[in-house]
Amino acid sequence: MSLEVEVDALRKVPLFRGIDETKLRLLAFISDRMQYQTGEHLCEQGEEGDTAFIILKGEADVRVHTRDGDRTVATVREHSIVGEIAILCDVPRTATLVARTDMDVLTVTKDDFLKLLKEFPDMSLEVMRTLAQRLERTTRDLAAARSGGAAA
Amino acid sequence: MEKSLFRFIWKFSARQQLIILFVTVLSYPISYILLELPKLIVNDAVQGDGFPRVILGFEFDQISYLFLLCISFLGLVIASNGIKLGINVYKGRLGERMLRRLRFELFQRVLRFRLPHFRKVSSGEIIPMITAEVEDVGGFIGEAIALPAYQGGLLAVQLGFIFMQDPLLGLAAISSYPIQGYIIPKLQRKVVLLSRERVKNVRVISDKVGEAIGAVPEIHANDASAWHSADVAERLYANFKIRYEIYNRKYFIKFLNNFMNQLTPFFFYMIGGYLVIEGSLSIGALLAVIAAYKDLAGPWKELLDYYQLVADVNVKYQTVVENFDPADIYPVERLTGDERVSLDGDVVLNGVSFSGGVAGQEVFAANLVVRKATTVAVVGADGSGRTELLQLAAGLISPSSGRVEIAGHDLERLTESTLGREIAYVGASVHVWTGSIRDNLYYGLRHRPLSEVQRSGKDADERKRALREAKETRNPTFDIRAVWEDLEAAGAGSKAELDELALQLLTVVGLDADIYRLGLQSRFDPSMDDRFAERILAVRGKLADRIAADPKLAGLVEMWDAAAFNQSATLAENLFFAVPTDPSITMDQMPALPEVRAFLSRTGLNAELQGIGLKIAETMVELFANISGDSGLLGTYSFITQDDLPEFDRIIRQARSTSQKAGLSEADRERLIALAFKLIPARHRLGVLDDAMRGRLIEARQEFRKQVVDGNPAFIAVDPKAYLPPLPIEDNLLFGRARVDRRDARQRIDAVIRTVVEEEGLREPIIFTGFGYHVGVSGSKLSAHQRRKLALVRALLKNASVTILDDVAAGTGDDDVALRRRLMILLDGRTVLFGTAHLSVAQEFQHGVEMDQGRIIRVDGSDPAAG
Repeated sequence: MSLEVEVDALRKVPLFRGIDETKLRLLAFISDRMQYQTGEHLCEQGEEGDTAFIILKGEADVRVHTRDGDRTVATVREHSIVGEIAILCDVPRTATLVARTDMDVLTVTKDDFLKLLKEFPDMSLEVMRTLAQRLERTTRDLAAARSGGAAA
Repeated sequence: MEKSLFRFIWKFSARQQLIILFVTVLSYPISYILLELPKLIVNDAVQGDGFPRVILGFEFDQISYLFLLCISFLGLVIASNGIKLGINVYKGRLGERMLRRLRFELFQRVLRFRLPHFRKVSSGEIIPMITAEVEDVGGFIGEAIALPAYQGGLLAVQLGFIFMQDPLLGLAAISSYPIQGYIIPKLQRKVVLLSRERVKNVRVISDKVGEAIGAVPEIHANDASAWHSADVAERLYANFKIRYEIYNRKYFIKFLNNFMNQLTPFFFYMIGGYLVIEGSLSIGALLAVIAAYKDLAGPWKELLDYYQLVADVNVKYQTVVENFDPADIYPVERLTGDERVSLDGDVVLNGVSFSGGVAGQEVFAANLVVRKATTVAVVGADGSGRTELLQLAAGLISPSSGRVEIAGHDLERLTESTLGREIAYVGASVHVWTGSIRDNLYYGLRHRPLSEVQRSGKDADERKRALREAKETRNPTFDIRAVWEDLEAAGAGSKAELDELALQLLTVVGLDADIYRLGLQSRFDPSMDDRFAERILAVRGKLADRIAADPKLAGLVEMWDAAAFNQSATLAENLFFAVPTDPSITMDQMPALPEVRAFLSRTGLNAELQGIGLKIAETMVELFANISGDSGLLGTYSFITQDDLPEFDRIIRQARSTSQKAGLSEADRERLIALAFKLIPARHRLGVLDDAMRGRLIEARQEFRKQVVDGNPAFIAVDPKAYLPPLPIEDNLLFGRARVDRRDARQRIDAVIRTVVEEEGLREPIIFTGFGYHVGVSGSKLSAHQRRKLALVRALLKNASVTILDDVAAGTGDDDVALRRRLMILLDGRTVLFGTAHLSVAQEFQHGVEMDQGRIIRVDGSDPAAG
């Protein structure tokens, strides 16, 4: 497995779609390539998080503590980035990530990611755009949920 | 100490001085004949007549007479130079012996200083005194008596000759002496004063340099280097001024001497000439006197030089010695006495006062009784006199009035052989000695050598000589190579038991885990203990089995396999698959070894590695080309630094260029190869190694083993069945590398190693290996916390009757409370004085004494004066 393969995978991550290849190569190089086996935890809810995970292969369950015990609220798949909130602002992990299959993951530390953003402003712009889209969607969902709730 | 240098010389070397003088005088006739003989050869043997001559009943014709004289000349040359050689060596040896005696005496006096004296003197001043300043004294001692006696004798003889010729001319010859004798000492006196000043100034410089070295972080942290530079520069200038002044005066004295000496012939020619013309003196007598005066100049000059040397050396001696003679120095018996009395009894302070000369370091009329086998907390803030009280009780400082008694013995009258063995004292600032942890642990048991070292042959002779010299110079005759550790005092039957005991105490103070870690990082020499190496190998096997059996663990480690490429190790480790026997050679330096270099070029690997290096460099340059230097990205991730980048850029361009001229230089090639060697494929993922290349490297590995490693003592092959002494124990335990692409692989595998080590009972031996860990200069490789605990164990090992701890584990934190509880269990039945600043801590002890402003204000909660 070499950088080229990772760059191919990164290109499929929506967040990095608009970013040119040399920068993706750099991102891949400064990240750590990790393997996780089925059932292994990538991170724990409530912990201080300083890395983001880019899933190259396999999938992971997103679990949250609830009153009735841990619940899987979502599944993240190949070519998605998780935990990026934690490296952009200092909040504890909002969920636990558990490998559902054997996984290949690129982990980027907060420091490196921020340095990269500083180095390439168009990359920050891309990140901002993605986050804004997500926020917009979340707001819409929330509004829908509220009006739905009011209706009920 | 002897106040004057001459008293010191005469007291300790009178006999030797007389021998030197005797031999010097004896050599005089020989030199005289040696000068006369050539004249005899020319005048008598070559130009003479009346042959054959009869000497001692033998007849000599002219030729054989010439031969006889020439051979006697040769004999005398040999004899004269032989005597010179002998006397010079003798003088040198005497000087060195006296110097050794002086230096040792000075050092011993340092040990005899009372503690408060060290507030006034610093090591920066004392060290040059003992080492450099007395150096000249040694060179002088051999000459001290013989030179003035001999040259003075010569002068007297020559003068006598002149006076016999003519008393008036004799007077003329010595006419300048009174003037010289009056003026020169006056001038010299000023030089002596200046020398003294210079010596003191140099001491201050040495002190300042020493202090700057000791406090270098402070200097940088406060940007005070300019101030210190100016300070030292000022002192250096002062030194220059003094030196310049000295030169001026010294050479003026020389000038004056020379002038006076040349002045005398002026009188000779004038007065002598006048007398000859008047007819009251024969011309022959005048010439003889002038010739004699020429001979006079030699000894006179020697004597004047000697005078200047004496003045210089004497002032050096005095300036040193006066610092080693404080009025209150301990008697030497306190150090040398070897009597030990038991101090297992009550500690009684009877009206004890002490003044350190500073407020806050005083004790006033303290009365205190600590019953045998009880524990007492002495509570007081810093400056309350607590530290002083405890030091008084430990016999470290002496009361200015009153008495400190333990078991009825006045501590002032006891020697260190009792105080240092019967009392265990640990103060707030501890010192850890440069050396191993073991050295430091057993430091408190090293009072006297306890065994005779068995020596034979050359070794025994050498020891005899050392003993003889030691006696000659009044140095101690203790054998540093003997066994010094007093096992009995520690309550151990053997060295192994002592180690066990130390481990128990380390566990009590909570230092065992730290030393275990140090042990894992230590190297162990299997030739010392085969079985231990075997046990480590057994753990290695077991660990490998366990990892193989558990797929989860197996995913964390990449084991060494002679037939496979280890992705988590560097390319160098993969290729060589062997380690240099010399642990100081790192993997990075290995390609530079001649054998390795030859192997690489022989097998053509050079070119391939260069290719790999070039690919890495290309990728690096491409990746980081647009990155600004201060982003910090390059420093962390690349094995090329930002500064190297343009350099590699150039190398790549040169390598690509097709023109023949712009080839790569040897240095460029080596840089590329070094780059390739650093590659860890699993971490760097540059994709520069394909399967074919990996296969090629594995093949080369076998070749390297065959061609270089086997049979070469400089390398050891990585082999699952062999212990690798150059690697630390931890690398020997795990026969592989923690994978770099698994989360927390290192920590998780360490935990497994720890479990297996404990199961196999290897923890103790590893800790004992950790005892050999070198703690760095004054323990600098240990934390302050570790140093304190080490000092605590050192004191506990002594098994002393009285234990005095001041400000050690004296806090209110949970760790300290727990440690105190364990300590008190350990010290149950012993007398303990425990100094602390916290009143709440006192409740843990049977009695409590509170101090404030040098006075005991409460004993067990009530005012002692009231009760």
